[in-house]
Amino acid sequence: MFKFKSLYLCGLGGQGVLTFAKIIGNTAVKTGYRVRVFNAKGMAQRGGRVSSEIRMTSDPACTYGSRIGEGGADVLICLEIGEAINALPYLREGGTAVLLDYASVSAQNILKNEPYPTLSQVESAFAARTDCIRTVLHPRRPYNIYTLGFFGSVIDGMPDLLPGIDSSSLKAALKSTLKRSLEQNLDVFQKGMESGGVRAVLT
Amino acid sequence: MERALKRMILGNQAIAYGALAAGVDVVTGYPGTPSSEVIPEIIRYAAQNNPAPYAEWSVNEKVAVEIAAAAAWSGKRAMATMKMSGCNVAADSILSIAYSGTRGGLVFYIADDPGAEAGMPEQDTRVFAQWAGLPVLETESPQQAYDVCSFAFDLSERTELPVIVRSVTSVAHEMELVEADFLYAPLKRDPVFDRDIERFTKAGSAICTQQHRNLLRRLEKAEEIIHGQNINRWLKNDSSLSVVSAGNVNPFVSECLSSTDGISVLYLQATYPIDRRALDEVFSCSARILVLEELEPVVERMVRSEASLHGWKGEIFGKLDARLPRVGKYTQGVIRKGLYLLASGGDGIDADVETYPAHAEESAEDIPAVKHPITFCAGCPHRGTYLALNRALKKNKLDRGETIVTGDIGCTILGMNPPFDSCWTEVSMGSSIGFAQGFMRAGMEKPVIATIGDSTFFHAGVQPLINAVQHRSDILLIILDNGWTSMTGFQVNPGTVETLQPPGQTRVDIVQVVRSLGVDVVETMHPFSQDQAADIMDRLLMMKGVRVIISQEECALVRMRREPRNIHYAIDSDTCTFCKACMRETVCPALVPVFDEDSGSEAGGKKNKGVMTIDPDLCTGCGLCATCCRFRAIHPAREEVHV
Repeated sequence: MFKFKSLYLCGLGGQGVLTFAKIIGNTAVKTGYRVRVFNAKGMAQRGGRVSSEIRMTSDPACTYGSRIGEGGADVLICLEIGEAINALPYLREGGTAVLLDYASVSAQNILKNEPYPTLSQVESAFAARTDCIRTVLHPRRPYNIYTLGFFGSVIDGMPDLLPGIDSSSLKAALKSTLKRSLEQNLDVFQKGMESGGVRAVLT
Repeated sequence: MERALKRMILGNQAIAYGALAAGVDVVTGYPGTPSSEVIPEIIRYAAQNNPAPYAEWSVNEKVAVEIAAAAAWSGKRAMATMKMSGCNVAADSILSIAYSGTRGGLVFYIADDPGAEAGMPEQDTRVFAQWAGLPVLETESPQQAYDVCSFAFDLSERTELPVIVRSVTSVAHEMELVEADFLYAPLKRDPVFDRDIERFTKAGSAICTQQHRNLLRRLEKAEEIIHGQNINRWLKNDSSLSVVSAGNVNPFVSECLSSTDGISVLYLQATYPIDRRALDEVFSCSARILVLEELEPVVERMVRSEASLHGWKGEIFGKLDARLPRVGKYTQGVIRKGLYLLASGGDGIDADVETYPAHAEESAEDIPAVKHPITFCAGCPHRGTYLALNRALKKNKLDRGETIVTGDIGCTILGMNPPFDSCWTEVSMGSSIGFAQGFMRAGMEKPVIATIGDSTFFHAGVQPLINAVQHRSDILLIILDNGWTSMTGFQVNPGTVETLQPPGQTRVDIVQVVRSLGVDVVETMHPFSQDQAADIMDRLLMMKGVRVIISQEECALVRMRREPRNIHYAIDSDTCTFCKACMRETVCPALVPVFDEDSGSEAGGKKNKGVMTIDPDLCTGCGLCATCCRFRAIHPAREEVHV
C-alpha cells in the first residue's frame, strides 16, 4: 500500500499530453487505485504549454488534493525540453525524470537568435535534483505514444515506481482509451518500449 | 430508469450530472474558462435521452441568468453557468433576483481561477456572493461536486434563494472516477408564475426594503439548514490547535496533516453563510486557529468577527496578518507553511514543528524559464486580418507605435503579440468599442481602431456600437468573424452558420445587425485575399464617422475538423533565400526552419544558413506566407492529403 504517487506530465499543445495522462489515469483506475487527474490546457490549441497532474493512491481512506505542489512529483515526464526546464521545480529530490529529446523553438526565439536550452543543459539542470533521468533519443511521432511505450519499459525496470502498473497494463489501457489509428499507435508504443532510452551521461 | 454512473469525468461534467440528478429543467450559460464543460455535457445528454432538460449557450451571462431565473420563478429547476468575469456581466440581474428569491431550485455555477491559469482577474466569487446575499457551496473534487450540485437545488428550494455553486480551476478541470446511482427524473411541475408585484418588481421603497428583509431571513434559514445537515465537517482532535479550511483547499489540508499532531479541522463546504454554531465549537476548544482558503480572506474575516463578538482571546493566523498569500492557488507548500505557523505559534518557539518542514526554497537554476509565446494557430483567419491592417497602416505612413488599436476578449487579442503588435488594450467583453470612442474623444489625432471577435461582439459589442453611431464617433471597428466562440473551445454563437446551429436554432447575421444600426460605412472582406483586404482597410482607415469592416472566414480548427483540407503550401528550396520574411511577418506555427549543420553554434550563434519548410500536417492552405515572399518561393502543393 502506498499513500500516493504523483506524476507531472508536460509538453506543448498538439503533442498529446492529455491523451498520455488519460491513459495513465485509466491504467491506475483499472489497477484499483483512486486517481485524480488535473489538466492545465488553457492555451493548448495555440502552441502554448499543456500540463497534466496525476495523483493516485492505493489507500481508499486517503484524502488528497488535485494538484502537485513544487517538489511534489515522484515522476516528471516532459515531451519538450524547454518545457522540461519550466517543469523542473515540480520534481521532488531523487524523483524520476523522463525527457524527450525534442525542442520546439518559437518563431520569435528564432528570429531574435535567442539561445534555446540544449538537451545536455537540461539534463545537467535535472541532475542537480535527481540521478534518475531517462532520456528518449530520436523520438518518433506521435511523441506521446512513443514516450508512453518508453515509460512502460522504465516502470518494468523499476517496479516500485508505480506499484502494480507495468508496460502491459499501460498497453491494455491504451487499447481501451484510443479509438482511432489503434494499430499504428500500438506499433509506436512497442517501438518506444524497445527504444531503450539512455541514462543521462553527465560530465 | 436508474443507471450507475461510473466514469472518469471532469469536475465540470460532474456538475452537469449533479444538476441532471436534481432533475434540472433549464440550463443556460456563456462559455468562459474554466466553466465551459457543463453545458456541452447537458447538450450531449439531451441529444441521446428523453426526457432531457433544455440547454443553450446564451448570448451573454446576464441573459443566461435571466432565462434561468424566470424558469425557476415558474417553479422549474434551472441553472446558469459562467466564469467569474461573467458573473460581473450578470451582476445587475443577480442582485435583483436575490431580493425576489426563487420558487424552483435556481443554481448559479460560477468558476473562479486562482492563479489566473486561464487569464483574467483572480476574482473571488465568495465576495460577490456576500454582496448579493446568496449562499455559496464549494467544490472539492468531481465526486463531491456531483453531490454538492445536487444538494444546491434542494437548498435553493428550501430557502427560496438562488444558490451559488463555486468551483475553481483545480476542480473544474480535474478528472476523477465519479460513482453514483444516476437518474434523470424531472419533477414534471406545471409552469406556474403568479403575479406578485411585491415580490417580483422593485417599485418603491416599501417593496425593496421588505425584499431585503426577506433576503436576510432566507440567509438565516440557509445557515440553519447548512448546520442541521452537517454540510461542513468538524474533525475534533485533542490539541488546542485548529484549522478552518474552505472548499478545494480541504483535501490539501487532509493530505498535509499528520495523524499524530492532534490538530482539529473544520472543513467548510458552505462558505456563505458561515455556520456560526460550528465556529463556536472551534472557539470553545482552540487557543490558536489557522484559516486556509484561496484568494480573498472571506472566511477569515467572518472567523475574526465572530471571535471578536464572542470575546474569544486566542490567536488567528491567515492572510489579514500578512502571513499567508492572497495571490495564487494554494497547494501543499502554502498549507505546510500555514500548519507550521499554527504549530509554532508564528515564531517557532513551541510545538512539534518538525512535521511541517518549511517548504524548500527553489534552488537557483542557471537556465532561465523557456517561453512559448501563444500565437494564432496555423491557418487562423485573424492572422490575415492583422496582416492586412498593418499593410494598410504602412501604406498610409501610420506608425504602429502611434496608432491605437483597442483589443477585446478572445482569440482576437492575440493580435497584441509580435509580429503584429497591434492591440494596445484588453479590458472586458465588448470594451474595445467603448475604449476606441474614449481615445477619439480624448483628441487623438491618428485614427483609432477597435478589433473584436464575433461572439464578443454579440455578447457586449452591439450597445457600444450604437453609442458610436448616435454620437457620430470617428472610429474604425474591425469585427473578426470566424463563426465560433473559439478561445473557450469552439462553442456555437449567434453568428455560427445556419447549418451548424443546433436543431431548431437560427443564425443572426452580423452584417445585417451592423447595417441596421445606421453605421456610416460597412464593408466585408476575406482575410486570405490580402490585396482586397488591405485595399478595403486602406480606403476606410482615414475616413471620418463610424466605419465597420467585417472580416469573414471560419475558424481553421473547426473547419479542418469537419472537412480535411485538400491543399497545402510548400516552399521551393532552390528559390528560398532563407530571409525568413514569411516567418517574420506571420509567425505561422507551420513554418519550420531547417538549419544547415554548420549554421551557427548550438547556443545562440547567428543561424542564417538553411531553408524554410512548411509542415504539411499543420498547413491549412491559407496562403498568407506566400504573400510575404518576394522571391515567389512559396506555392500551393495540390495533393490529396489523407488524414
